[in-house]
Amino acid sequence: MALIPEYRNDVPRVERFNFLARFSHWGHTVTFLLCLFTGLVLFLDGVNWLAAIFGGYRGAGLVHRVSAVGMTIVIIIGAVFGFKGVIEWIKDLLRFGMNDIKFIMLFPLEFLGFPVKVPPQTRFNGGEKGNSIVTPTCVFLLVLSGYIMWFPAIFPVGLVRVSYWTHDIAMVGATCMVCMHAYLGSFHPGSGESFWGMWKGTVRADWAKHHHAIWYDETYGDKSKSE
Amino acid sequence: MANLANLYDVSKCTACRGCQVACKDWNQLPAVIEPFKGNYQTHEDTNGDTFTIINFFEYEDPVDGVRWNFIKRQCMHCLDPECMKVCPRQAYTKTSWGATLHDPDKCIGCQYCAAACPFDIPKYRKREDVITKCTMCADRVEEGLTPACARTCPSGALTFGDRDELLQKAEARAKFLRANGFPRATIYGRVELGGLNNLYVLTDTPDMFGLPVNPKVSGNITFWQDWIQPYFGWLIPLMLTASATSFVTSRILASKHGEHGEHGEGGHE
Ligand code: HEM
Ligand code: HEM
Ligand code: SF4
Ligand code: SF4
Ligand code: SF4
Repeated sequence: MALIPEYRNDVPRVERFNFLARFSHWGHTVTFLLCLFTGLVLFLDGVNWLAAIFGGYRGAGLVHRVSAVGMTIVIIIGAVFGFKGVIEWIKDLLRFGMNDIKFIMLFPLEFLGFPVKVPPQTRFNGGEKGNSIVTPTCVFLLVLSGYIMWFPAIFPVGLVRVSYWTHDIAMVGATCMVCMHAYLGSFHPGSGESFWGMWKGTVRADWAKHHHAIWYDETYGDKSKSE
Repeated sequence: MANLANLYDVSKCTACRGCQVACKDWNQLPAVIEPFKGNYQTHEDTNGDTFTIINFFEYEDPVDGVRWNFIKRQCMHCLDPECMKVCPRQAYTKTSWGATLHDPDKCIGCQYCAAACPFDIPKYRKREDVITKCTMCADRVEEGLTPACARTCPSGALTFGDRDELLQKAEARAKFLRANGFPRATIYGRVELGGLNNLYVLTDTPDMFGLPVNPKVSGNITFWQDWIQPYFGWLIPLMLTASATSFVTSRILASKHGEHGEHGEGGHE
């Protein structure tokens, strides 16, 4: 079995993410991972080989800050110019219902590859809704505490001390989610097709109908035409 | 080796600030000129180029009238230093005789130590992006000399020597002061924070000199260092293992159930 499902041009495809969504997703992915590995240098207290990759401890600190600013800019661009998309995203998250709860309960089986029958899902399934809430919350906390740690002189010392553990907890939270998320969005046989949605913008129509039935019907199916 | 300590006796200090000058001189620290603040204090606080200062406090006491307190401040060289625990670069070391040393070549300027120190001592030197603080003149002491500040002090307020002997001396002096017009005289640094290597004889309670009566390491720092850093991170390899497991099982199961699923890709029906 291939690592990622083959990208097929010979079947009907539907748009899943526009350019701006893809730009911000991969932009913050690269900067997040750079922040992560340069941050781990300090979190793990003295992993010299990891520091050496970034040109030593000072180099890692510099990369951490440059990536942090890069990530902040990408997020702001994504949120400002993709404002409509963000609102739609939030609206979809608010549609959290029984089908999502069932999805999350069945998810461990689906994750391991057992064939399970999942109720129809909206644009983002139960797991993606969870990810969409937990990960951005952690990233928001990372940004907030990160800038406080960067400029401790202009903040009360109590706030700086709180930021230290907040930065670490949010780092672990976001990284745990990303460990599962990055795998699901690529090498997982069931959901791997979604990678093309984020990479090229489109997914196979039959896959979309199968995995996000409610979204597909509303956007491309009979419902969208009758309206 | 026995701990060597610096004992500062507030009742003998005349606030001449010779120690400040001697410290600058020995450690080759440039002058830092700050505007007049309405009292005798030279600087707002210790800073990246000033390892020690005399702090001034004025109180109006209904009984004693105006009290004018001053005290020398510098690193306390804690026996169990928190700065050393939080530093991710192991820039701090403890000498065999008790000084807390900071190595600027290892320091990356993250300033964790500055927020962790219960006495607010490590200070950021912006132009080099490192932390600095009092060295207890380790370079002098290891050559058999006394710290520059103690050597300079003209009134005998600073004494350098064996910590246990100095503690006895300090106790005796506090007792004498209590009997001679300073009923609240006390010593500082024997038990505080598990013991300090800079000892004080005070003519009043520590809070009257801007010292924390019961110095403590912030709970936020302890939580971060003792719980989050050592244990919480293990969740990450756990999640990686889960994904790696799925990578294998989902491929095995997909081949078992055949590729006859609608999409030939495993996953749900
Ligand atoms: C706007 C975003 C961010 C800013 C401003 C920021 C800033 C900082 C700063 C100033 C430090 C102190 C160390 C140093 O001076 O180099 C730090 C440490 C760290 N950062 Fe960030 N950071 C950000 C985002 C992130 C992200 C996205 C991650 C990981 C996913 C991360 C993980 C870490 C870790 C693990 C540490 C070490 C903490 C420790 O020593 O316990 N940071 N960050
Ligand atoms: C190399 C690693 C990554 C891969 C392969 C990847 C892949 C994907 C894919 C394919 C989607 C679309 C899912 C769908 O069709 O709905 C997606 C969505 C998303 N990604 Fe990533 N991603 C990666 C890293 C990250 C990182 C580092 C973050 C954040 C720190 C992140 C945050 C998100 C969020 C919030 C969504 C929308 C919610 C969701 O679908 O779960 N991703 N990602
Ligand atoms: S006073 Fe602060 S800087 Fe000095 S040894 Fe104690 S914790 Fe470290
Ligand atoms: S600023 Fe320097 S000495 Fe202080 S904790 Fe960071 S690396 Fe260590
Ligand atoms: S011991 Fe040395 S470094 Fe510390 S205050 Fe005295 S003169 Fe300065």
